[in-house]
Amino acid sequence: MLKKFNRFFAWPSELRAAGVMSMNYRNYQIIGKNNKRNLYPLVDDKAKTKLLARRFGINTPQLIGIIETQHAVKDFLNIVHSHSDFVIKPAQGSGGKGVLVIQEYTPDRFITASQKVLSYQEVYQHISNILSGLYSLGGKYDSALLEEVVHFSTRFKSYSFQGIPDVRVIVYRGYPVLAMMRLATKESGGRANLHQGAVGVGLDIQTGRAIAAVQHDKPVFYHPDTHADLMEIQVPFWREHLKIAMQGFEMSGLGYLGADIVLDQERGPMMLELNARPGLAIQIANNCGLRKKLKKIEKEFPSDLDIESRLNLVLKSYS
Amino acid sequence: MNAKQSLFQKIKSIRFLLWIGVILSFLFAAYSFYYKITYWGFSTNPKQLTNVWTIEAHVSFFPTNDPIKVSIARPVSDKIFKILDEDIVAPANYQINKTKNRIELTANANASPKQQDLYYRLLLYDYTSSNGIGDVNDFPKPLKKLVLSEQEKNVMNQISKLAEKYPGDSVQQFIHLLNQTPPNQTVQSFLPEQQTALDMAHLLSRLLTFKKIPNRLVRGMQLEENKKSFSPDILLEAYQDNLWTVYNITTGEKGLPDNFVIFQRDGNSLIDVEGGIDSLIQFSVLKSVRSSFSLAKERSKESPLHHFFSFENSIYNLPLAQQNSLKWLMVFPLAILMIVLMRNVIGLKTMGTFTPMLISMALIQTGFFPGLICFGIIIGVGFTMRALLSRFNLLLVPRISAVVIFVILLMQIFTVWGYQFKISIASSALFFPIIIMAWIIERGSITWEEEGSLNALKEILWTLIVAIVVYFVVADAYIRYLAFAFNEFNLVILFIVMLLGTYTGYRLTELVRFAPLRKRKKRHA
Repeated sequence: MLKKFNRFFAWPSELRAAGVMSMNYRNYQIIGKNNKRNLYPLVDDKAKTKLLARRFGINTPQLIGIIETQHAVKDFLNIVHSHSDFVIKPAQGSGGKGVLVIQEYTPDRFITASQKVLSYQEVYQHISNILSGLYSLGGKYDSALLEEVVHFSTRFKSYSFQGIPDVRVIVYRGYPVLAMMRLATKESGGRANLHQGAVGVGLDIQTGRAIAAVQHDKPVFYHPDTHADLMEIQVPFWREHLKIAMQGFEMSGLGYLGADIVLDQERGPMMLELNARPGLAIQIANNCGLRKKLKKIEKEFPSDLDIESRLNLVLKSYS
Repeated sequence: MNAKQSLFQKIKSIRFLLWIGVILSFLFAAYSFYYKITYWGFSTNPKQLTNVWTIEAHVSFFPTNDPIKVSIARPVSDKIFKILDEDIVAPANYQINKTKNRIELTANANASPKQQDLYYRLLLYDYTSSNGIGDVNDFPKPLKKLVLSEQEKNVMNQISKLAEKYPGDSVQQFIHLLNQTPPNQTVQSFLPEQQTALDMAHLLSRLLTFKKIPNRLVRGMQLEENKKSFSPDILLEAYQDNLWTVYNITTGEKGLPDNFVIFQRDGNSLIDVEGGIDSLIQFSVLKSVRSSFSLAKERSKESPLHHFFSFENSIYNLPLAQQNSLKWLMVFPLAILMIVLMRNVIGLKTMGTFTPMLISMALIQTGFFPGLICFGIIIGVGFTMRALLSRFNLLLVPRISAVVIFVILLMQIFTVWGYQFKISIASSALFFPIIIMAWIIERGSITWEEEGSLNALKEILWTLIVAIVVYFVVADAYIRYLAFAFNEFNLVILFIVMLLGTYTGYRLTELVRFAPLRKRKKRHA
């Protein structure tokens, strides 16, 4: 009885010993003290992030166009006419809400990544909803981004149901701390959001190799839909992944951030977006507490190094 | 150096300052609590009652041809009884002159031989139940010289000797001797013919003076419900061991009896009538009760520090309507504290921060179960309606607006049905905040579409659970009374809420969520 109870419940002292970071600690001690409020718009608005990233020479999905007003919505076909596929995204959306991937289309038939068929009217409606703020934080007016589709490396095809897997790297004061790959499932509706039922695979920060995996905060070993062995995952171009994440610190100035990176078949790792309030599930996916790692960085890692030296330091020091 | 610096940093840290704030505000609130109870008579029991006594002295007489002068002893507020009100009813030709201890009514010589009726009415309230000790600085007057014949001296000496056999202190010995039944022969010869309380008291006083014990008569009124009496009640006070002690002149019991109001010490009589004959004095006592709360204003006049703890400027001096709305307002900090605790310490996820509070307010208006049923129906029907609307692909703002209008129409139908079929459940729909309901429907629908029905229902359920917990706090009349009567504790809540803003520990739900991360003892695979 007690054993069973212990499986579902940990005492605060046990979690503290494991260095687990709580939501309150993240908000007060980490975000509150490392992320200046005035920097948030840089990462909350994906159009701004993309612009900034380009200035820093960071690879991002190519922007096709931005729709900012309702009367411009009817022009969207003209904007994408030279592309055979495209993505519609709310600029200020969060957690993958409102993202629509159009794989192929004719002027009145649109086929999404999840093989759903939409009419012109429905796509029009979707863009219009984005503009009226349906997917943005606090429901404020938003703009819609039209982007090139990321052609995800076929290497991970078997690990994801429909959606594109991405890599989330937590960067603290310029140093990568924890990383995980997020895999869409049938349950998550093709989205890479953990609280919707996506699988999180913890990655070794030095090698990009899978350590552990969770779904709904519970350990798993195989993808629930494709049944692929999650422990065999090894992210290629790992050094480049880390570098992009670390550049996120330089470009945004956020002391604590989560960088979302996707691997394009031809163009390599690309920064999708930055997050000023990355979630805590990454701890479970890595089976490792964040708090002790952040403490270590505060104490031992110098704050005045350039990216290469930091990267070398990280690759050497963790073990 | 290092230790000093860290101490300095600790003092500068926000959490430290907030802790000091919590402690200081708590000390203040605790003192204020004590003050209100002691000096304003507030109580933790909202139904606490205070006895209010009405004493009426009715003086009637027939005037002679001399100028009339009636003098009535006037009690002063003491530690036990405070004067709430005082009034005099007298014919119009009387002039009233109040001094500290007496009220004098004078009238010119009156030709008409009609009976004159004067009324002196006094309202007293019980300030405290504890008996006060006599004033220590109240020194006795020098003893009067007794003019005694040799025979009287002898008798007094005999009586003094006899008294020594009785128990108690020397005063009590005399009292017991004089009240012995049947009376001792020596004593009997000494006793007055009519053994009225006044005569007995005078006799006792003479004996004590003979024994060189300073003493005085105390006139007053033993308060009993519906009492009628033609004379005041009399006690005797003797000065021994530097203290005045009150004695009951028949039982010898020490100390002021319960419910005894002193009108006069050491005077000749309570009421003097000059220029009148056949005067008759009748005392009557009536008991009534008032809520202690309503007497607070009276009490506050007698309180120390009344410039700082000013009753006049407090919320309790406001018109009742304002007080009643404040009564609701004052309990909200506690409700907010509950929400902060449930969100940041327990870790429940609710829709919006204060939505639960608004729902609980609606529940108060509607009543608990009718409100819950109504909430369920509105949300349920609203969801269905919202699901239909999503097929029309309306823009966001018009869509939410449509939901709002739909909710309004729904409430209208409910209210009409409620009236026609006399179902109070249905008519309670009116009290739900429309915008909040529409917002819950809209937010819930989006969650439903994007994260599945389970998540949406979970979110609504948690919101409702938090609302119910808050409801039980706010709806409790006793908690509301306490929050209103001792509103200074809201200051403590303010600091606690701010301190919770620096809480970085685990939420209760995180103890479950992160349980897999717990450091286990190493196991061999």
